[in-house]
Amino acid sequence: MNVQPDLTFIKYLKGAGGDTLKKCYQCATCSVKCPLSSDEKPFPRKEMIWSSWGMKENLVADPDVFLCHQCGDCTTYCPRGAKPGDVLGAIRAYAYTLYGWPSGLAKLASSAKGLPVLIGIPAVVIFIFWLISGGMHIPDKEHFATHGYQQFFGVWEFKWYAKNIFFIVMFMVPSLGLAIFSLYMGLTRLWKQMSLNTGVNPAYRPSVTQFIGEFLWPSLVEIVKHTRFRECGTNSDRVTGHLPLMLAFIGLFIVTCWSLLKNDIIGLFLHSWHGPMVLWDPFKIMANVSAIALLFGVYVLWSNRAKSEGEGKTSRTFYDWFLLWEIAAVGITGLGSELLRWLGVPSLGYIVYFMHLVAVMMLFLYLPYTKLAHIAYRTTAMAFEKYRESAFMKPAVE
Amino acid sequence: MDKKYCAYLCSGCGIGDALDMEALAEVVTGEMSMECKTSEYLCGAEGRALIEKDIADNGVNTVVIGACSPRVMQNEFNFGEDKITVRANLREQVVWSEVKPAEGAEPHAEAAAFLMESAGDYMRMACTRAKKTALPEPFKLETMSKKILVMGGGIAGMTAAKEAAAAGYEVTLVEKEAALGGKAAEWRKSFPTRSPWTDLEDSPVAALAAAVQQDARITVKTGTEVARIAGAPGAFRVSMKATGTETEWDAPAKVTTEDADKISKGEMENPNKGLKNYMSVDEAAELHGAVVLATGWLPADVSEYAHLGYGAIKNVVTNVEFEKMAKDGKVPAKVAFIQSPGGKEHDQDFPYCNSVTSMVALKQAQYVCQDNEDGNAFILYQHMRTPGSQELYYKSAQQTDGIFMTKASVTKVEENGGKLRVIAEDTLLGDNLALDVDMVVLAAGMVPVTKEEYSINLAYRQGPAFSDLSLFDGYADSHFICFPYETRRTGVYTCGGVRKAETIEETIDDATGAALKAIQCLESTDRGVSVHPRSGDATYPEFFMQRCTQCKRCTEECPFGALDDDEKGTPLPNNTRCRRCGTCMGACPERIIGFKDYNIDLIGSMIKSVEVPEDDDDRLRILIFVCENDAYPALDMAGMRRNGINHMIRFIPVRCLGSMNMAWIRDALSAGMDGAMLLGCTYGDDYQCHFVKGSEIANKRMENIGDTLSTLGLESERCAAVQVAITDYDKIPQIVNDFVDEIVEMGPNPFKGF
Repeated sequence: MNVQPDLTFIKYLKGAGGDTLKKCYQCATCSVKCPLSSDEKPFPRKEMIWSSWGMKENLVADPDVFLCHQCGDCTTYCPRGAKPGDVLGAIRAYAYTLYGWPSGLAKLASSAKGLPVLIGIPAVVIFIFWLISGGMHIPDKEHFATHGYQQFFGVWEFKWYAKNIFFIVMFMVPSLGLAIFSLYMGLTRLWKQMSLNTGVNPAYRPSVTQFIGEFLWPSLVEIVKHTRFRECGTNSDRVTGHLPLMLAFIGLFIVTCWSLLKNDIIGLFLHSWHGPMVLWDPFKIMANVSAIALLFGVYVLWSNRAKSEGEGKTSRTFYDWFLLWEIAAVGITGLGSELLRWLGVPSLGYIVYFMHLVAVMMLFLYLPYTKLAHIAYRTTAMAFEKYRESAFMKPAVE
Repeated sequence: MDKKYCAYLCSGCGIGDALDMEALAEVVTGEMSMECKTSEYLCGAEGRALIEKDIADNGVNTVVIGACSPRVMQNEFNFGEDKITVRANLREQVVWSEVKPAEGAEPHAEAAAFLMESAGDYMRMACTRAKKTALPEPFKLETMSKKILVMGGGIAGMTAAKEAAAAGYEVTLVEKEAALGGKAAEWRKSFPTRSPWTDLEDSPVAALAAAVQQDARITVKTGTEVARIAGAPGAFRVSMKATGTETEWDAPAKVTTEDADKISKGEMENPNKGLKNYMSVDEAAELHGAVVLATGWLPADVSEYAHLGYGAIKNVVTNVEFEKMAKDGKVPAKVAFIQSPGGKEHDQDFPYCNSVTSMVALKQAQYVCQDNEDGNAFILYQHMRTPGSQELYYKSAQQTDGIFMTKASVTKVEENGGKLRVIAEDTLLGDNLALDVDMVVLAAGMVPVTKEEYSINLAYRQGPAFSDLSLFDGYADSHFICFPYETRRTGVYTCGGVRKAETIEETIDDATGAALKAIQCLESTDRGVSVHPRSGDATYPEFFMQRCTQCKRCTEECPFGALDDDEKGTPLPNNTRCRRCGTCMGACPERIIGFKDYNIDLIGSMIKSVEVPEDDDDRLRILIFVCENDAYPALDMAGMRRNGINHMIRFIPVRCLGSMNMAWIRDALSAGMDGAMLLGCTYGDDYQCHFVKGSEIANKRMENIGDTLSTLGLESERCAAVQVAITDYDKIPQIVNDFVDEIVEMGPNPFKGF
């Protein structure tokens, strides 16, 4: 192995929460604590020396890095204060930026310096769309009560495709599309690198069905059940935050899909179905429960992180906080818009709704480059782990 | 001195419970015809008052104490320099060492009688000793210099000079180079010496040199070498010369008796041609009392490790060469520091490496990162030693972005397109490494100058260098752990790199200690007492020269080269070089060497005073000569732990096994005793002998006596020599009891009663 240490990489990690990485003296206490570690591959001990030697090629293609749940046991037990958990977080942040496409946007999303632009892009785009749509008005209370935010971008005569939906789709779908494309690019590179480093024989490849059935689906089940998260020692209460948050996202996803179906597909034929849901509608209940779960989850994670930072156990990073801010913004503006609708304050409601749209677009647009990317990267790594342990990795019959 | 004796028995500490004190007192008053008094608490105020009253009122000046070990209560039983005190160890060696019967077994019917016989013998021996011993008269030099010679003007020498001067002593500081400073003057930076222990500091050399040059008590002689040092502590005659020149006063090489024969027959060229005889007196020499040797160290040769390419590949350098580069300018950007040369063979560091070379690698790695923004310094080690606060420096180096450390077996350094490639296996990275670097730095160790040169240049009969250097990897110490400053030549104290590879900070402490040792030597010599390890001993070996046969055994065997000789080979003692071990006394076949309180006749008489019963297998007598330094305290400890020792054994303490004269073994066996043993210290390269060679010499003598016994028809196994350590107190009873069992097996001495 020819080693050319990358000093810039070390500096990046130090700046991104891994400032303690060079303290590691390879005692392997972390590997003893970590449930991911194996005898052959002491984790995160080997990642610590790779980091301190600036060996980024090894790190960004290391499935273990993405499998880590940042449970914090390694950091708690580290006798030298090297905080391996934080270092791994920094490595992931680096990897998301590295694999992110387009790289300019990925870089932008990696530091607080980019924050004005990060908020500016969706804000300006949505505002321009609002201007173009000609909606551009604050409705009266009566109108607001009937239609809520469903005519934010106005209405037109063409009944088969609502103007509001048209405009929302105009910016949300490309945002999500870009994110999905970017993730596809990144994950393909990651998979390739991981395979290369693991020494996979490219001649044996699983079929799509095999891949989904044997590797992806069990991973998803594991994720939903939070099986590994529950193995965490130090930060075990993060499950209390992360589980409601994840379920809230699933819930909100279902509600959004239903809402689209109900309003803009069924609603085309049954006009009475078009319009805000009543409070006792099961989907509405689900939506509200999800919103509360989301805010609760964010609150738990937020306060855990703040506490741990206060005690000096974790380093404060943009990477970690940006996601918390984003989700909190989505939750607060979403619930805020609803409350303002009930209160019948159209002007403020429209402003908060605008902010909600901005927050949601940010969530979509920056998904591949921020901590949220773990949804895709961790899932991929978990699938790879199963693949790595499967018959595909066993040598051919001798 | 007209001796007036009185013996005192103490019945405290269980002695009175185990022994019949009246019967014991009768042994003293009867057989030994000495007045005897008993006290219940002799070391207490009452007991002491009893003795002091006798001293004051009855003029008692020779006191025999039958109580505890002579190693305890020394102040309580010290009645002044003009009184003689002899102690019989009734407590630790008799009462407390009684063999207890096995559990459930009845004690031996005669157990009490055995104990009384032991106690009686120890009182007989003590009384005999009291009769034979004489008050010592300190040896005083006619002319005594209290000036200290410091050899070497580096950190160590300058500090020693400064500290000795600060204590009020005149100092001559000799430096062979044109300027003071030594090796440390060539370093770019020195290690941190204060909190937070992370920042390199400027070398203290310049400030120290200025202070030394300004000191009125210090005479600095640069560009000067010591040609030879003749004489002895208190009166060393130091001949000096300009660096690099040859003079007739250069130290003469050692010429053995065999060499001398060959030279006289013309078979060998005299190595000392043109040089003055070692006994010649240089009138121009300057008198000094003690010497601090601070001649430093030399970088070890690393060219033997072919796979590392030193000498063959350009840009493979030693740490010393790299430091020079760093001092003169910028160092390369990519550098590998190799600490251990063993490859896959072994994990040892370079010879003569210790924590200093670890620290140097950390320091030089910092240079790489300081001089180059993109600097990469790789430290490949098997051991990283950063004791004490130096650990903090290690941590700070570790946290430098451009410093990369791993444990590794470096298997090859090769040229690779104008650069160097370092191949390493067994790394912490879990993979073999190939590093492309601009330069490779090898952690050459610090070899003491004494390994390569005489350095001290003595004009002694035993030669110009320290003795037995090969035993100690070229280091001159007497015992690194126990007597760190003491060399194998009294009055010469080493410090700095010549004593141990050490940092500047350590050197400063070390040199201060050496200066104090030199002062201790001056003051002890001035008072006419031994410096070390028998500090304060006013006796010294006295020779009855009329009977000397010039056999030269004493001059050869003295571990400290204390004896010179004249052309005929008659020994010329230098009492201030002497450590009073008595090795000469043990060596002398004519038995003409002795001390006032320790001589052939004295110990011989003690042996003869032991009662040897006839025809009784339960009453054999086995004599054990015990080294006072480690074995005797170990026996005391065995007694304190009530480890039983066979009742047939009698112990006699000796200054060192080296002082064992084989006449004593003959005395014992001819007195009808059944066996004799020597109990002394370990020798060899792990030696613990306080006098370096004593136990080794005694062992050789015992081998010879075994042959003598065989010719007399006695089993050579009746004599044994055993090496023990002070920590063997739990094993010694077993060792001596097993020896007794062997003797019992052999049966009594057939010459008993003749």
